[in-house]
Amino acid sequence: MQVDTPRIEEYLESIYKLQQEQHPVSTSRLAEHLKLSPPSVSEMVKKLSNKGLINHTGKGVCLTEEGNRIAKKVIRRHRLSERLLTDILGFKWDEVHEEACRLEHAISPEMEERIEQSLGNPKTCPHGHPIPDKDGLLLKEKVRQLSELKAKEKAIIVNVFEEDPKMLQYLASLGLIPDVSILVEEVAPFGGPLIVCVSGSRYALGREVASKIKVK
Amino acid sequence: MALSCHGALKEIKGSTDFTFALAGNPNVGKSSIFNRLTGMGVVTANYPGKTVELNLATTDFKDLRIGIIDLPGSYALGAVSEDQWVARRAVLDCKPDVAIMILDATNLARNLYMLIQFIDLGIPIVAALNLTDEAEKRNIIINSGELSRLLGIPVVQTIATTGSGLDDLIQKAVDTARIKKDIKYSLRYGEDIETNIKRLEGKLLAYNFGINPRALSIMLLEDDSEFIELVGKHENGKFILEEANKISREIEELHGEKTPLRIARERHGLAGSIASQVQGDVQPITSDKIWAYTTSPLTGIPILIVILAIIFSFLFYGGNLLSTFFSNQWAAYVSPVIDGAIYYVFGDGIIGKILVWGFDAGILAALAVGIPYVLTFYFMLAFLEDSGYLNSVAFLTDRLMHKFGLHGRAIIPLVAGAGCNVPAIIGTRVLATMRERTIASTLITLIPCSARTAVILGAVSLFVGWKPAVAIYLIILALVFIVGIGLNKVMPGKSAGLVMEMFPFRAPIISNILKKTWYRFKDFVFVAFPIVLFGSLVLGGLYETGYLWKLASPLSPIVEGWLGLPAVAGLTLIFAVLRKELALQLLVTLAMVMYGGEAKNLLLFMTPAQLFVYALVNAIYIPCVATIAVLGRELGWKRAFGIMAFTITLAILIGGIAFRVIGYLQL
Repeated sequence: MQVDTPRIEEYLESIYKLQQEQHPVSTSRLAEHLKLSPPSVSEMVKKLSNKGLINHTGKGVCLTEEGNRIAKKVIRRHRLSERLLTDILGFKWDEVHEEACRLEHAISPEMEERIEQSLGNPKTCPHGHPIPDKDGLLLKEKVRQLSELKAKEKAIIVNVFEEDPKMLQYLASLGLIPDVSILVEEVAPFGGPLIVCVSGSRYALGREVASKIKVK
Repeated sequence: MALSCHGALKEIKGSTDFTFALAGNPNVGKSSIFNRLTGMGVVTANYPGKTVELNLATTDFKDLRIGIIDLPGSYALGAVSEDQWVARRAVLDCKPDVAIMILDATNLARNLYMLIQFIDLGIPIVAALNLTDEAEKRNIIINSGELSRLLGIPVVQTIATTGSGLDDLIQKAVDTARIKKDIKYSLRYGEDIETNIKRLEGKLLAYNFGINPRALSIMLLEDDSEFIELVGKHENGKFILEEANKISREIEELHGEKTPLRIARERHGLAGSIASQVQGDVQPITSDKIWAYTTSPLTGIPILIVILAIIFSFLFYGGNLLSTFFSNQWAAYVSPVIDGAIYYVFGDGIIGKILVWGFDAGILAALAVGIPYVLTFYFMLAFLEDSGYLNSVAFLTDRLMHKFGLHGRAIIPLVAGAGCNVPAIIGTRVLATMRERTIASTLITLIPCSARTAVILGAVSLFVGWKPAVAIYLIILALVFIVGIGLNKVMPGKSAGLVMEMFPFRAPIISNILKKTWYRFKDFVFVAFPIVLFGSLVLGGLYETGYLWKLASPLSPIVEGWLGLPAVAGLTLIFAVLRKELALQLLVTLAMVMYGGEAKNLLLFMTPAQLFVYALVNAIYIPCVATIAVLGRELGWKRAFGIMAFTITLAILIGGIAFRVIGYLQL
């Protein structure tokens, strides 16, 4: 029984990415993302769960520590491959994703290190996503909830974990989207709302909303 | 009266040369511009089931008749909130000749976001760069010529408060409307998103969904529930949606974020880059440090308490004073004239007396509530809204109100309810959803207004003592909490999290406030008057024909058996529906009829416990007829009757329990 098959890697990589927006990840969302049928996905989910790579609960799946480690390794190889394709081989940045999907499973650790060196230790992929380092560490910054910030603290939005697509779009239309810097102006006592400053506008955000916005 | 949107939009389009839609973010001076452009003849219209209203009016410009639709202020044109939905629906339904987009010069980038959405919809646009005076104070200078060039639309600088630039604005809008051919915009997103929009657009060209293909393509990629549903109903809808999904997933894979988010980011990027190109490099001066005091907990909460106390005391003392003065004047001058006229025409038989109930007592009841309480409250509410202070209040009280499934904004109507329920219920318009408005309105009907307070003070405090009077307030306060938390649990849906812009303070413009106050008051008068009149006539009929006394025996199991009150007290509770303080006045009157003049001392025929139960029941059960009228108008009659039935049940239940507890404890 071989663990590091491309198929398993593909699954773990997808779950890792989907975890950024939904936690745990529902199997239907996973099937949609992988463009596979839900029955075949749930079968694979069972196998991964038996291998101890993911935890499967009623609500969906999430990566175990081991699963997380492998996923980051795959993502590292994927993003390094993309860099290789654009920087050395002259592909356009919007053409490299598919190629990299095939390459990522074929690269040995030795090759991985050589690619990194010859590219000059890039920090991000051509699309601007960070490349994890050898030990799988992504970014050193601690990710916190916006609601944990104190008055006058500044941060950058990393992600918005909001299940309700309407709320997510509403926040997006106000400019509350990842990579935007945000300043907490005031915090109401007893778990009340926060006043935040985003690109020149001031908004009051309820605690529930603020806790879904991850910042660094 | 609010009209249906379809009818009203059609009519305004049919009767004018051009129709313009006024659009913009909240608080950019849009209603000031609307008020300046139009006169008093404003019509409001509703989409069924929506609380957000459209204002429509016509105006004359040179020899042209122009219809103006004031869209609700919103930050975007999605389907994610009611204001956005109504704004977009109205634009799509009415197809205005030109959309006039009001931009806040002090916050151009955020305002351009919605303008780009209008461009995506392919609607002819003229932009008004408003608040330029305020922007200059903050060192923000915008090159409007350059902005016009980049957007490909006319841009006019305006100052709504003085009316400067408005003629030019309308002229530009008329010029734009006269160009009959389709407008081609050159504004584009990033190449990769554009290619994908075009790909989907290509699949849509063969169909007619009543909206231009590019706009539909963008909305499908943005995961817009309304248009997905629309397309899904089409015979080839499934195929189109699958295609949209496929393209959306490709974008997602490429950019590592969801497509709607990506499009929002592109739009913000576009808006931001245009804004930075037309503004100088000078650092803007930020002001509004003063307003920080209203939101900082240390100073904000004392300020809030003072403001709430002012509103309450104004309604309670000022309103009472005005109401008494008004009633006295009415009794001295108007009442004799009306009564005289009625008796002269109809004689002083039963019919005459019934008509006096309706046209004398009834009109007085409506006016005595309407003018002193409703008018004053509207004025204060408009002031709080326009100044921006209402948002500070919402910020401070959001936590508490959340327990009831409400927002912080609900605190103002709830406190106002202690003065008079009627304006308080109309004040729930500051809440966004029907769910919130229903919860808030139900809670307001439980809060003793000044009339019910008069009964509590007059019956309990005077004859029994101040401690039981305080006890009544405590019981009601507890009920408000329990009912609020209960309703939040029981009612379908949940309260959305608070997301609200904190506006910089702006000195309110008195003419806007007066206009707002008048429109709302007019609405109240038209709705409340007929119902109060009708209710008074019915009650008068019951009283004058003697049927009222016949109600005593069917009611006796509840009034005498369960509540332990004398039958005559039960009858006065029915009359109190007209005006709550009538309960006490009638109790004294009827008691004197039955027991003679000595009964002025209520303790002669009611025990302290009975007086306590009486005031408690009077305070809880359905509010007065004016409140019922307003509930029906604001929430629909189904909800109004639901609230009535609920409060009657609650009053009887609590009254009976109180009667037994007092008896058991021998208080």
